[in-house]
Amino acid sequence: MKASANDVKRLNNLIPKVGVVREILDETPDVKTFRISTPEGEKPFTPMPGQLGMYSMPAVGEAMFSVTSQGPDYIDMAIKKTGVLTEALHAMEVGQEVGIRGPYGNGFPIEKLKGRDITFVAGGIGLAPVRSLILYCLEHRADFGKINIIYGGRSKDDLCFKKDLFENWANLEDANVYVTIDRPQEGWDGHVGMVPDYLREISPNPEVAVVCGPPIMIKFALVALRELGFKDEDIITTLELRMKCGIGKCGRCNIGSNYVCLDGPVFTQAQLNEMPNEY
Amino acid sequence: MKFIEKTNLTSLLAQLDAQYRLLVPVDYHGLTQFAPYSQVDSGVSQLYLDGNVTVSPKTVYLPQSEAMYKFSAQGKKLAIEEMPPLDRMQVLFGVRHCDTKAIQCLDKVFLDDTFADPQYKDKRDKTIVFSLACNNPKATCFCESMGIDRAHAEQSVADVQVYDLGERYGFEAVSDKGQACLNALNGMTDGEAKLPEQKPQSISFDAQGLPEKLKEMFDHPIWDEYAFKCLNCGTCSYICPTCHCFDINNKMRGTTGLKLRTWDSCMFGEYTQMAGGHQPRPGKKERVRNRFLHKLQYFNEKHNMSLCVGCGRCIAKCPVNMDITKFIRQVIAE
Repeated sequence: MKASANDVKRLNNLIPKVGVVREILDETPDVKTFRISTPEGEKPFTPMPGQLGMYSMPAVGEAMFSVTSQGPDYIDMAIKKTGVLTEALHAMEVGQEVGIRGPYGNGFPIEKLKGRDITFVAGGIGLAPVRSLILYCLEHRADFGKINIIYGGRSKDDLCFKKDLFENWANLEDANVYVTIDRPQEGWDGHVGMVPDYLREISPNPEVAVVCGPPIMIKFALVALRELGFKDEDIITTLELRMKCGIGKCGRCNIGSNYVCLDGPVFTQAQLNEMPNEY
Repeated sequence: MKFIEKTNLTSLLAQLDAQYRLLVPVDYHGLTQFAPYSQVDSGVSQLYLDGNVTVSPKTVYLPQSEAMYKFSAQGKKLAIEEMPPLDRMQVLFGVRHCDTKAIQCLDKVFLDDTFADPQYKDKRDKTIVFSLACNNPKATCFCESMGIDRAHAEQSVADVQVYDLGERYGFEAVSDKGQACLNALNGMTDGEAKLPEQKPQSISFDAQGLPEKLKEMFDHPIWDEYAFKCLNCGTCSYICPTCHCFDINNKMRGTTGLKLRTWDSCMFGEYTQMAGGHQPRPGKKERVRNRFLHKLQYFNEKHNMSLCVGCGRCIAKCPVNMDITKFIRQVIAE
């Protein structure tokens, strides 16, 4: 992924550029993916998988989201409707100009993952940050070992990125996709059950796991992964906390002396074990 | 060293004011803070050099509220306009040594290699700091215990070192910027002087090993003891010379607005409250613990220096008499 010409170092990292919403895709009843490029039709910035972008409607507010995918002239962010800003973002139409700044955070440790089998474990909107890495791995397929994707949602309507799950990735020969929903539902003939239990059932080779989802899912997935023999330094997760600046200055996203926006959002479980349990 | 008689200080300040935007410590109806010299000149405030000011000089570099950019949002259109830099050099006169150390702490945060803050840097670059040594510490001062040199201000911050020598003030340039500024001033005499005697501070302790000790105390019952009486009012963080957490919010008028950076405090629940309800620091205990640990452990781990400089403001102003030195001594004694 090469930086494009418009990735010039901004003078003030807290001042957004103007971005234009080019496309809006409904993922679930409360998740939409927004495709953003600059007014000149260029990519706003070039993130590495797992990095973050600050997205704002200046009159409403500003918040940090993971970049779920990117193309030569755009970035995509999948956003769940949960508060004042995300309500306003969901009400947008194509052509709306927004503020955008980034990329922030460390991103996934690509080098550490090379040559190894990777098990992705995600729940709900937690697939959004993980997807950036899945897409990277598929694009550079020869660099990685076996790929297992285990994903769950509350119901079939709550599954994000259905086109990837059931078409793009499902038809790949060199990746396994396992999708589950919490409770049986009419019109669903796939797996039913919680992600951690499904993970035990699938029992992937314990090399590297990348986990993201609601805290309760992470908690139990961690238990399952340890049972399966995954080491804490090979369990990778991405966190989110409230952020204002994105560059380790405004203070609020600290866990001990680490700032999630700067030193994270990606941490290994081994790193988290050394940090205060305050996230 | 250069000297000026105290009776001639006003003429010196008038010269500085003519050349620079001059900020001096003032007493404005009982609240001491830095203000433009015109306030003294016009009689609105009195020059205050007897002790340190209540509102720390961080206001000069990180104002309580500062416009970051202007924007206009109309229909689907958005335009963003940056704020102009300072249009002239300023002199900050009479900063105490604890506060020069505090500015060095702020430098670690706002002048880091990767994401230096241009608005902060602009003010740092365009400010000449006259730092005044304290001869008579207040009862709440404990800078010496926090490793501050009472005879010399922090060299990376001060440009001119000032001493109170009884009948006169002594001035020594610390930086080239300070030297040039001093050279341009009239009415000063040259000579040698013995540095003034500095009275000992009544609060004194050895804080060696404090960060290491605190690292093992995250789940210690001491936090309940201190959190119980805290009001989470935020006074300590507002008057602290090193507390720098900020919020970003906006002020709209019609279709145009200002994006503002305003002081925030880790004492408030909203500070960490997330959309959707998640709250990593739900109560007083977590917030008090975070503030003390940021001051005394976390900042050390990141920047190898304490984020408490021993100015004593929080001890003097806390409405429920929280005393960070009592806490430190208790931890040391553990």
